[in-house]
Amino acid sequence: MDIEKSTTVTADLAPADAQKLAIDTLRTTATDLEAQLDADVRHLLKTWEEKKAQYRGEHYTYTVRGREIKVENFTESLSHTRIPKVALPNFKDWGEIVRWCMQENVPGEFPFTAGVYPFKRTNEDPTRMFAGEGGPERTNKRFHYLSKNMPAARLSTAFDSVTLYGEDPDHRPDIYGKIGNSGVSIASLDDAKKLYSGFDLCAPSTSVSMTINGPAPMLLAFFMNAAIDQECEKYIRENGLRDEINAKIDAYFSDRGLERPLYRHGDGSSELPDGNDGLGLLLLGISGDKVLPANIYEECRQRALTSVRGTVQADILKEDQAQNTCIFSTEFALRMMGDVQEYFIRESVRNFYSVSISGYHIAEAGANPITQLAFTLSNGFTYVEYYLSRGMNIDDFAPNLSFFFSNGVDPEYSVIGRVARRIWAKAMKNVYGGNERSQMLKYHIQTSGRSLHAQEIDFNDIRTTLQALYAIYDNCNSLHTNAYDEAITTPTEESVRRAVAIQLIINRELGLTKNENPIQGSFIIEELTDLVEEAVYTEFRRISDRGGVLGAMENMYQRNKIQEESLYYETLKHTGQYPIVGVNTFLSSKGSPTIVPDEVIRSTTDEKEQQITNVNAVKVRGGDAADTALDHLRRTAVQNGNIFESLMEAAKECSLGQMTRALYDVGGQYRRNM
Amino acid sequence: MQAQAPYTPSTMIRVVTAASLFDGHDAAINVMRRIIQSTGCEVIHLGHNRSVREVVDCAIQEDAQAIAMTSYQGGHVEYLTYMRQLLDEQGAEHIRIFAGGGGTILPSEIDQLHAAGITRVYSPDDGRAMGLQGMINDLVTKSDFIPPVDAPELLADRVKMRDPRAIAQAISCAERGRKDLVAFAVGAERRPVLGITGTGGAGKSSLTDEIVRRFLLDQPGRTIAVISVDPSKRKTGGALLGDRIRMNAVSNERVYMRSFATREANVALNPHVADAIRILSYANYDLIIVETAGIGQSDSQIMEVCDVSMYVMTPEFGAATQLEKIDMIDYADLIALNKFDKRGALDAIRDVRKQYQRSRQRFAEPLDNMPVHGTIASQFNDPGTNTLYRSIIDALKQRCSLDWESSFSVSDEMSEKIYIIPPDRTRYLAELVEENTRYDARVEKQSDIARRLWQVNGTIAQLEELRSAERRRK
Repeated sequence: MDIEKSTTVTADLAPADAQKLAIDTLRTTATDLEAQLDADVRHLLKTWEEKKAQYRGEHYTYTVRGREIKVENFTESLSHTRIPKVALPNFKDWGEIVRWCMQENVPGEFPFTAGVYPFKRTNEDPTRMFAGEGGPERTNKRFHYLSKNMPAARLSTAFDSVTLYGEDPDHRPDIYGKIGNSGVSIASLDDAKKLYSGFDLCAPSTSVSMTINGPAPMLLAFFMNAAIDQECEKYIRENGLRDEINAKIDAYFSDRGLERPLYRHGDGSSELPDGNDGLGLLLLGISGDKVLPANIYEECRQRALTSVRGTVQADILKEDQAQNTCIFSTEFALRMMGDVQEYFIRESVRNFYSVSISGYHIAEAGANPITQLAFTLSNGFTYVEYYLSRGMNIDDFAPNLSFFFSNGVDPEYSVIGRVARRIWAKAMKNVYGGNERSQMLKYHIQTSGRSLHAQEIDFNDIRTTLQALYAIYDNCNSLHTNAYDEAITTPTEESVRRAVAIQLIINRELGLTKNENPIQGSFIIEELTDLVEEAVYTEFRRISDRGGVLGAMENMYQRNKIQEESLYYETLKHTGQYPIVGVNTFLSSKGSPTIVPDEVIRSTTDEKEQQITNVNAVKVRGGDAADTALDHLRRTAVQNGNIFESLMEAAKECSLGQMTRALYDVGGQYRRNM
Repeated sequence: MQAQAPYTPSTMIRVVTAASLFDGHDAAINVMRRIIQSTGCEVIHLGHNRSVREVVDCAIQEDAQAIAMTSYQGGHVEYLTYMRQLLDEQGAEHIRIFAGGGGTILPSEIDQLHAAGITRVYSPDDGRAMGLQGMINDLVTKSDFIPPVDAPELLADRVKMRDPRAIAQAISCAERGRKDLVAFAVGAERRPVLGITGTGGAGKSSLTDEIVRRFLLDQPGRTIAVISVDPSKRKTGGALLGDRIRMNAVSNERVYMRSFATREANVALNPHVADAIRILSYANYDLIIVETAGIGQSDSQIMEVCDVSMYVMTPEFGAATQLEKIDMIDYADLIALNKFDKRGALDAIRDVRKQYQRSRQRFAEPLDNMPVHGTIASQFNDPGTNTLYRSIIDALKQRCSLDWESSFSVSDEMSEKIYIIPPDRTRYLAELVEENTRYDARVEKQSDIARRLWQVNGTIAQLEELRSAERRRK
């Protein structure tokens, strides 16, 4: 139609004039269109070829916190093919280029769909393995085993349920049986020092994650003090003060008629595991401020706080929605989270995540991937709103937030990171005005425990491999792969080794992972990303209609939805509509029976007794100093002071249970719901 | 697997359900408790993270036949064995213990537990073989007995000593119609009774818990008993007695708590509540709280048994005229307007006070004198709840001529919600969706413009190429 019309208009003109007129008209149109382009869009079009060129040279250069980083753009395969680390589209159409740059973009650029950093770290795999059993000594040994020959120590701590609920080990049988089972027992600063001994907590290559929620502020205070005292110990070692200080500590204990605490295994041996150089053990039973001059201690303290790297889970919202390890009222727990974050800002704790906003437990409780993502992100934005309302600046705290998702085998899991990063970045930039660091959503993945089955357990590694592949292709920042026997028991060193091998094989052997954006540009990946993003927004609107995350929680909206989705999965699994190989289909000639382990690794009596003896010793040692610290803690809470600051002091003198109880008095206990 | 019919119990069976200490896995026990209830039992559900002591005290106070536990966090052998031990020590050998924990409880441990007196531990294989209803039928069948009353001739003395098991048995006797066994309590000097009633979901049990907590702090040495009544299901005869799950303060030796099911339709009170009050009076509790199911019309039944009555409602009652329909506003001595953080709370409290004033023709008094208190029971140390507590104590002192002292004071300090999200920001998620979709729309629009620009530029180039080709030809 249009073409016909234009021929009639130009029909009267001589062909040359008609052409000129047409060109002039089009030029005006082009000018008009160009004026309609936003400045950022014009800029991205102008720099597109330049951007592509950056990835075609030998090296790519960029800066992180003022440091220039030079990365090779290609690796070479055995067949001498040059594999680009980042592959870019060959679009010519500007419309495609604009859409791609604004919704996808290269890794490391807004909206960070493909990843938050331009390139993966070359000296550090995302491997992070969860461990915890028995007393701190046993878990310390496991940590050293896991990180042997690894360029970086990425430790992830599982605590026993006594610790998870903020209590001390005790002979009372209902407590006793749980000490050091399904996680490590940590009830004091000494326990934390032993647990991480031999790892330099302030080294850039060490990062520690702690899966703790209800009593997170107390455990974090243990950890931070352990790091500070390590710095003190390093100072003592470097300045040749070891003997002098040792004598001082001996005198300190003998004056009080107390025994100096020791690193000791359940069997009584004090032997350090392979790889543990003893760092962190000099100051067992005493804190650095008692043996060093105040100014030196203060320097050590600052150095420790500004260098520690890691994550504490501390996500109380998902506890109330899915996992139930709440001990304080939700409001009080949130207030303490805010106190931790404020303390982090004040003390420049920049490399430690104050919360790991977790969807893992939501998914494990039965939620589907969309619900997992929607609930987790909505919880994240709730923390943002809360911290803002307390007067914190977005760019001061947003970089301290991190995320944690489960990866199952559902199709949506192939894009969970992409969607999460994209939604977060857009909101941070456009709603909250956050800077680039605030816009970058970093997350840990653990492969789905619920997807492991107690039948044909050998098949579990295959499921884990596929889930790990999803995660690595999606550029997760850290990854835990489950051991195949976790469905029936506590994993052994052998099964954990296989689980780590899954990651290593994908990262180091699988050729396609030499490329760091292998799923970008796939039609289905792009479509799924859009679909999941839209589904998350739909869920956001539902939560918003219920008064936001907290309003929805009052009516147990999240809990009920998770239960419904769990039931749906169980029903389909039961009827066989949802096939699970070796479980409800493809059964072996013997019917693929449930595997029951002969025995389960449990903590030993020696370990339990030792934990009780040790925590009792801490309570005896604490004495008046502990009482004073607990009074200060209660007063701080009542007077609306910073509770975490007070916990940092109390943690030097008190046990976990002592601090928990003091806080119950002033903050209220969690009230269960039905 | 064929769907199994539920077993029909021959006695009224009461079962305590909970998940083990330091154990948040409550999905399984929630499924089980529903089936136990629909099999016609009265279920006293405690929720997750419960110590052996809490569960045992509850089972004894409630005179339950059985305890059903789940444990998924390890330590089940010690936990359950200890439970058996504590029950036996208190003479409750008859209380059955049932448990499940999926694959976390090994077959060898199941044998060990059975040998230690645990009635039955259900394994995943049992689940497959018996089905859910089959497991519950097994549990209910094994619990279908009338709990014993030991030494009936000593019952009165033991009640007097406030032995919780004796009190529990005495109340059960009354409920079973064995009035002869509890005749001793007739004529006991009546102790002060506070009646609490209100609409479902108004936060009655949280508020009751907060009152009990303050009483224990404020009245050292004094004892308190709580009677809580929930409706029975007409269809199955079962009932969910869910108040204990909210109560943190009752785990204290100065507290006795007993949950009742109405066991009759359309009543708010179990007819034996009056017997229970007599028995608890005989046991000389300093204060008895009766909390009843809020089922509208019958709320005012509570007036028959209490000295001071309190009605719990929320600001969300709709238009002020709705208040004219609420009987309890005419009868209650005190009103708690709980969830005072809800929108319109200030208007609501004024309307309720007006209705209270109108129904009593107390127009000469200032509106603020009407005993209607805004409370936020869910918030720790809420000032409104402090004032309410003091008003209750004052009313009891006056009505029952008590000489109690209280360190709590009535203040003008209003309950004020400590907001996590400021009220004007509650739309944050919707706002975020709007902003992000606005960005997406901009991307589409800009992308279209860029495409057209590219096409136009392409066309211009094409035309110019044509032109220069023609020129060359000329």
